[in-house]
Amino acid sequence: MSPVLQDRHDPLAAHRVLREPYYQPSGDELEMFEAAHARRLPLVLKGPTGCGKTRFVEHMAWRLKRPLVTVACHEELSAGDLVGRWLLDSEGTRWQDGPLTQAVRHGGLCYLDELIEARADTLVVIHPLTDTRRQLPLAQRNELVHAHPDFQLVVSYNPSPTARELRASTRQRFCALEFSYPSSEREADIVAQESGLDIAQVAAIVAFGLRTRRLQGYGLDEGASTRMLVHAALLVVQGLPIARACRLAMVDVLSDDADVHAALRAALDAAF
Amino acid sequence: MHAPLTHWLRLLWGKAPPLVFDSDCAYIAAGAIHLPAPTHLQHWQQQAAAAAHAATHLVYSPHRFDGTGLGPIARVLLALLEDARVEALAVRELPGLARLWRPLHTATPNSGVGFAGLAVRLARSLCDPAYDDPDPWVRKGRSLCFLDAELSMPAMCTPAELRVAATHLGHDIGQMRLQFNGKAALPLPAYRDDHRWMWAADALTDALSTALPPPPIASAQPDPNTPDEPTADEANVTHHPEWDRLIGRLRPDWCRVIESTAPDAPALAISDTEHDTARSLTGPLRDLMRRNARPGCGDSGEVFDLDALVNWQLGRRLHSPASNRVYRTPREMAARTALWLLIDQSASTAGAALHASTHSALALSLALRARGIRFGVAAFNSNGRHAVHWCTVKSYAQAPDAAMAARLHALRSMGSTRLGAVLRHATQRLVAQRGAQRWVLLLSDGSPYDIDMHDPSYLREDARRAVHSAARHGVRMGCLVFEPGGSAEAARIFGRSGAVRVHNLKDLPGALRRLMV
Repeated sequence: MSPVLQDRHDPLAAHRVLREPYYQPSGDELEMFEAAHARRLPLVLKGPTGCGKTRFVEHMAWRLKRPLVTVACHEELSAGDLVGRWLLDSEGTRWQDGPLTQAVRHGGLCYLDELIEARADTLVVIHPLTDTRRQLPLAQRNELVHAHPDFQLVVSYNPSPTARELRASTRQRFCALEFSYPSSEREADIVAQESGLDIAQVAAIVAFGLRTRRLQGYGLDEGASTRMLVHAALLVVQGLPIARACRLAMVDVLSDDADVHAALRAALDAAF
Repeated sequence: MHAPLTHWLRLLWGKAPPLVFDSDCAYIAAGAIHLPAPTHLQHWQQQAAAAAHAATHLVYSPHRFDGTGLGPIARVLLALLEDARVEALAVRELPGLARLWRPLHTATPNSGVGFAGLAVRLARSLCDPAYDDPDPWVRKGRSLCFLDAELSMPAMCTPAELRVAATHLGHDIGQMRLQFNGKAALPLPAYRDDHRWMWAADALTDALSTALPPPPIASAQPDPNTPDEPTADEANVTHHPEWDRLIGRLRPDWCRVIESTAPDAPALAISDTEHDTARSLTGPLRDLMRRNARPGCGDSGEVFDLDALVNWQLGRRLHSPASNRVYRTPREMAARTALWLLIDQSASTAGAALHASTHSALALSLALRARGIRFGVAAFNSNGRHAVHWCTVKSYAQAPDAAMAARLHALRSMGSTRLGAVLRHATQRLVAQRGAQRWVLLLSDGSPYDIDMHDPSYLREDARRAVHSAARHGVRMGCLVFEPGGSAEAARIFGRSGAVRVHNLKDLPGALRRLMV
């Protein structure tokens, strides 16, 4: 792990969100998040992949002027990856705080993306942080870190019929915000804003994206995400014809199943 | 052709009407689209054009037409105008469909000036804005039907308006003294349906008004049996979809898997042969774990490996190069592996196949436990789609002991095979497990069907889909075949490398190595 230069007065300076991340609310989620943050209640964001959960958290970090420490969870993520570990250098051993410990110690939003991908022992680490104790035990260092008053834990996952489920003992520690894909008009606004593409072409891209979601459960686990639509729009801005951009950003990505892929290709031909 | 077409129609209009390849020409009946059987000579374009045209009727056409008082010519013209109207609406939404349909219209002014010739010229004129027919009647038809030269704004919306226009154009045909034999077919492009849905109908309240009724073919009905075990505790029942190859889609919640636990039987000693076989199996399993495990020490981890740390310190003191791989690997690969052994106990396995399956399952269980791999054992059979029995012989928590051996040897062949549902059930259980390696090993006679279905390819295709779906969720599957001649059938489902014939217990280590390593 490369050493991170830290501002002595603001150790999380590198994690501050300086510019407003574009986010278009679809309901009262800003108000809900602010209420949970006021009480520092841990929050879980549920929704399909690429629907704007991460962007929402970035936006809230900017809005609340809190540093945001993000960790993408995966099957190999260990507790040590979150809380920290002893490192060796020329002077001997040195303790390095993990991202969660940094946020707990110095008061930031810690965002664990796709939490259910993490190993069970990793999930247990967050338990004492998510109840009234608000503590993080560092057993290897024999230290008990009390959470900074500004610390808040936010996690996300994508609930699907085939996905693993959060255990009740973990789930019931959180408040939850449910996300879904925005309405087509709002999604077009988002894609236009993110890509700079004119709204007429964006509308065509969004319309095709909506079609792909019709195959959800019929060959596709999920249709094209808002993020994929933005990618397609960016490729059009880059100069690709719209059909080729959709093929590159969506059709050839969504499935490896030959039948589904052939149908997606043919639908693309029909749509443009 | 079937599955891509079904997916395609769902992508275009959110509907997937049943597709039946059973006729000489396209037609719509009872909500299903009937198409000519695909041949190697027929391209995607022709089948797609026909399916899309029929689907546009299901999406845009009125539910019924009143043919009362209309002569054959007016009926033909009304159908032709309706075809043009729905295609125009479809093309407005999906411009690329024009590239599909327009090349199939080949009429020209040379196609004739009889009614049939003029009708096909009108059909092209209403479909292709670039086609300019000199005939005044054809031009009149186009101007009656569309408000613009691009043919994107149909002038008529209701059956009554279409009827007036068709009657008007038909009257002109009468004035020209052109004859039409109502029994003769017009040489319209073959992708268009025969419009029987329009006129079958004075009693036709079915098809188009009911969006997607169940598929009509008797052979497509997987089984007529009603739920035969309504008393099963619903807490132990899970519903799974099943792939219907005839309609080219998954029937949601189609199969009912009923879980139970194998009853206890008097304990049975595990034989030396089984112990010996288990010992010979630990090799392949160890190789599998070793192949997927990380090296013993790494440059990152949670805990120091003391030996590596001491060596590193020694190296520093001696000013010699020292490896910085001083962390212990996080966990054994075996601890992150989960597996289900599934034993086919359908009637076709009676005798040698089931006997070999149970002995192999026992030997495998001992070896898996020795390697510290989490696993479960279940037997299955079925009695129609409503009663797919999953009988747990050993759960993850139980040990492979004499009691388990007794439960295994007490298994008896019965019922049929509904393999796809069982594979989906195992997949669901494995996906819920955290683990880097997830496996299903099937011990079977190789046949995915018995007496449940008349069509042998139906359940085979469903099982194949279940295997592919499992792979997408990170669950690998393999089949140990204990019956002569079963390998070919199993290979169609699990792939060539996923099905291995086992003649006796001595073959097991090699078979396991081929399957898993």
